[in-house]
Amino acid sequence: MSDFTAIIPIVIIVLSACAAMIAEAFRQPGERMPIAGFGLIGLAGAAAASIFLWGSDAQSFGVVRSDNFALFINLILCVVGVLTMLFSDEVVEREHLPPGEYYALTLFAISGMMLMAAATDLLVIFLALEVLSLSVYVLTGIRRASLAGAEAAFKYFLLGAFSSAFFLYGVAFAFAMSGSTRLDRLASVLAADGAREPQMLAILALGLLIVGFAFKISAVPFHMWTPDAYEGAPTIVTAFMSTGVKAAAFAAFVRVFLSTLEPLKDQWIPVLSIIAAATMILGTVVGVVQSNIKRMLAYSSIAHAGYIMLGIIATTSTGKAAVLFYLLAYAVSNLGALGIVALLGTAQNPHDELRDFAGLWKSRPGMAGLMTIFLLSLGGFPPLAGFIGKWYIFSAAVEQGYFWLAIIGVLTSVISVFFYLRIVVMMYMTEGSDVARPRVPLPAAAGLALATAAVFYLGIYPTDIIDLAVESIGTIF
Amino acid sequence: MLSLIVFLPLVGAVLALLAGGRGDRPDREPLVRYIALATSLVVFAATLYMWWRFDPSSADYQFVEDRQWMPAFGIKYLIGVDGISLLLVVLTGFLTPLALLSSWDSVHKNVKVFSFFILALEAAMIGVFVSIDLFLFYVFWDAMLIPMYFLIGIWGYERRIYAAVKFILYTMAGSVLMLIAIIGLAWAHASATNGPPSFNLLDLQALTLSPQLEGWFFLAFTLAFAIKVPLFPFHTWLPDAHVEAPTAGSVILAGVLLKMGTYGLLRFSFPLFPEAATAFAPVLAILAVIGIVYGALVAMVQPDMKKLVAYSSVSHLGFVVLGLCAMNMQGVQGSLYQMLAHGVSTGGLFMIVGMLSDRRHTRLISEYGGLKGVAPRFVAAFLLVTLSSIALPGLNGFVGEFLILIGAFQWSPKLTTLAATGVILSAVYMLWMFQRVNYGPVTNEKNTSLRDISAREWALLVPTIAMAILMGVMPGIFLRPMEPAVARVIERVTGSLPTRVAAETPAGPSTSLRAGQPADSGQRTADLSK
Repeated sequence: MSDFTAIIPIVIIVLSACAAMIAEAFRQPGERMPIAGFGLIGLAGAAAASIFLWGSDAQSFGVVRSDNFALFINLILCVVGVLTMLFSDEVVEREHLPPGEYYALTLFAISGMMLMAAATDLLVIFLALEVLSLSVYVLTGIRRASLAGAEAAFKYFLLGAFSSAFFLYGVAFAFAMSGSTRLDRLASVLAADGAREPQMLAILALGLLIVGFAFKISAVPFHMWTPDAYEGAPTIVTAFMSTGVKAAAFAAFVRVFLSTLEPLKDQWIPVLSIIAAATMILGTVVGVVQSNIKRMLAYSSIAHAGYIMLGIIATTSTGKAAVLFYLLAYAVSNLGALGIVALLGTAQNPHDELRDFAGLWKSRPGMAGLMTIFLLSLGGFPPLAGFIGKWYIFSAAVEQGYFWLAIIGVLTSVISVFFYLRIVVMMYMTEGSDVARPRVPLPAAAGLALATAAVFYLGIYPTDIIDLAVESIGTIF
Repeated sequence: MLSLIVFLPLVGAVLALLAGGRGDRPDREPLVRYIALATSLVVFAATLYMWWRFDPSSADYQFVEDRQWMPAFGIKYLIGVDGISLLLVVLTGFLTPLALLSSWDSVHKNVKVFSFFILALEAAMIGVFVSIDLFLFYVFWDAMLIPMYFLIGIWGYERRIYAAVKFILYTMAGSVLMLIAIIGLAWAHASATNGPPSFNLLDLQALTLSPQLEGWFFLAFTLAFAIKVPLFPFHTWLPDAHVEAPTAGSVILAGVLLKMGTYGLLRFSFPLFPEAATAFAPVLAILAVIGIVYGALVAMVQPDMKKLVAYSSVSHLGFVVLGLCAMNMQGVQGSLYQMLAHGVSTGGLFMIVGMLSDRRHTRLISEYGGLKGVAPRFVAAFLLVTLSSIALPGLNGFVGEFLILIGAFQWSPKLTTLAATGVILSAVYMLWMFQRVNYGPVTNEKNTSLRDISAREWALLVPTIAMAILMGVMPGIFLRPMEPAVARVIERVTGSLPTRVAAETPAGPSTSLRAGQPADSGQRTADLSK
């Protein structure tokens, strides 16, 4: 029984996904079922289980380890999931998405993400990666009538399958080198080799794993799928995958690179530095010229991936905790912003072009105000979550003397402010068309209130969460 | 006490927002305005009370509040005022009600949000002046950009969006590098003491950095402040922002925001990096003198009154930087004084231009002429404000400029001579503008029925002019609280270069001060530097 302790949160999520599927099977056509409720219950259960497991460092089958690091990621994922569920209830109905599939896939994706954060075996990481990827591919194309959706899903799938193959190839080389796919065995082999020049196999494994992870976090030059997939997917799915997938992929990235592959850091730090610099620059510079909000936020998410990579490059405990904090800050800000886009859209008018936002302040001052808060948080203005996140990441980089990366980071965030402000200019300073914008129902309003509260809480009083992040990286590395 | 002054405006801001009701409701407008005005007046009263309770003989921070914020990083909620920041806080408290009043008739679009942003801005500005923790300082410094951005962008004139975006990007580009330097300093402190990082200004001042690092950090800090001042050649955002901002925005921008640049130089750049500051001071001073002359010359040819005043700010703030670079008692005290004086007189000028613009919806000088016959009271007030801006003895501008020139002359006679031409040029462009607007025949039909000054406008101009006169005839009450804190900064900066201190022990300046100085303060200034 004790073998199952570590996977309790994951099991709870899987059960709620099954419940969603069963509910769908009994749903009369046209009936509106509160399936999101199952998701919320499951997520609440998973969050409670994660809190319960805090500090216990439970292990399952030797390949899953619910240390505090994984549990912190679980909590981020629960926040992501809860916000997604709250927004989805209305959006799914409005855009005529098949509710059973939608909720089940979302929840399965979350279970995959949680598994990915907790896995301590390269093959289990791969398994989790596939669980979440397959769910997200389908979610991207869930609007079956939409050409853009189908194209996005197909492109995402092809490139994602490629990256999975790279990742698996990397796993194969790692196995060839150490005779195991367990992270701890791999680590001990590498540590034993530490004094000598690293083997060719290790370098190959390293390179291929970097490619695999870089795809999932959409780092340059493996970011090509991101804008198309984000634009083509239903907005609410974009919100979910831009935050959830990123958190899970970074969790595994941190675990593999900062524990197992740390002996090779002289090899991978230069590579990741260049990738991070390119990611920050490309994400912001190309983001400037986008006229579609979802594409713009796709490029912004690329840039944010670059910032988060600085935390990995720093390789210090500050850096690791900064990654965790940043993932949470980014998750609430980005989900809030994309959630608003989703809530303003209808099946006919997706409300995702820049000009759709013209004059939003006049017709919907509350939504405009919240959108501004989320965008300013993404841009890194105090006293909002994004500022503390950026400050944390940059101070990790500066602590290790990576001034140049930090300087690229802050300068690109100034550029990113320019495009976030383009939306603000549209909302506040441009006369708008009178587009009919749907009302916001209570659950979604609660979600927005939650996200706003989180953005201010993390921005004004981040101490508790920072302490939690510091505590959660303390146990594993 | 001090926290109350910082956060009271924010409370008022939220109240104003709530009082406004849903949507844009004109019937709630007066209520919102009175809530906002009352809040700002209470804040002003609180700042005055703070001044009254302030111990002028101490160089230390007073009313200090020290709470842990993020202990893992040594970040504290650490605020306090000393002689350098005290009067700037009072100035902020003084100008905010005026800014709100100045928009009484001209802003009707969504007054609750307007009032919200003005008061939020006030909170952030006061926060900037009272922060002793660098992280906290940066939070306020950056947070301040957002309300100003909206004020320009929503309530500004034609090219407001361009101006607003330029303002925020320009200022941010400078300040993010300062953020890196702040973080770098904190880690340098951590590695020097083998402890946690610290963002406390007082801890960081005790740090000895490698010359190279000190140079880079100094440049990063100074770039942020130079853009804010704005020092030539970083001034190009200013005319746009000033011209496009609504009157209230211009008053606060010129009155307080620009001072944050010079305040930052005096509070952070110079004392944190004394060696680098001494090395770079000549460069800064040259840029300042270029700014003085260039700003004045460009102001002279402006057809738009607001732009003229904006460029005059470039020129006047150049004096402030020059005085700071001299780093002696007269120079720095003069700079600080000039900061206050410029806040009052330029704030007044923007209000005057705003009044004209409210009446005629144009700010072009050529549209006016002969106003003296039409609106004599208005012109009288205009004259007084103009004279205070060009530093007529007996008014506020004179004391600061004079002290700066004395201080700077001891340091670099050549630069000071050049800078002194700015004094003449300022008289030329201001008086010429004044003459074209107010004297001569009424050339434009539309001006014949120009309304004279209203009661509300008196309420704007009387405090401004009274303050200008008070600062002109009784500079002692303003200079006294500054002295100990200024002396400490100078000791900190020049203490590392004893030869300069020796060269500065002046007998001469005190006599020249006596000759030109109407007040008792000059005597004391000179005594202190002995």
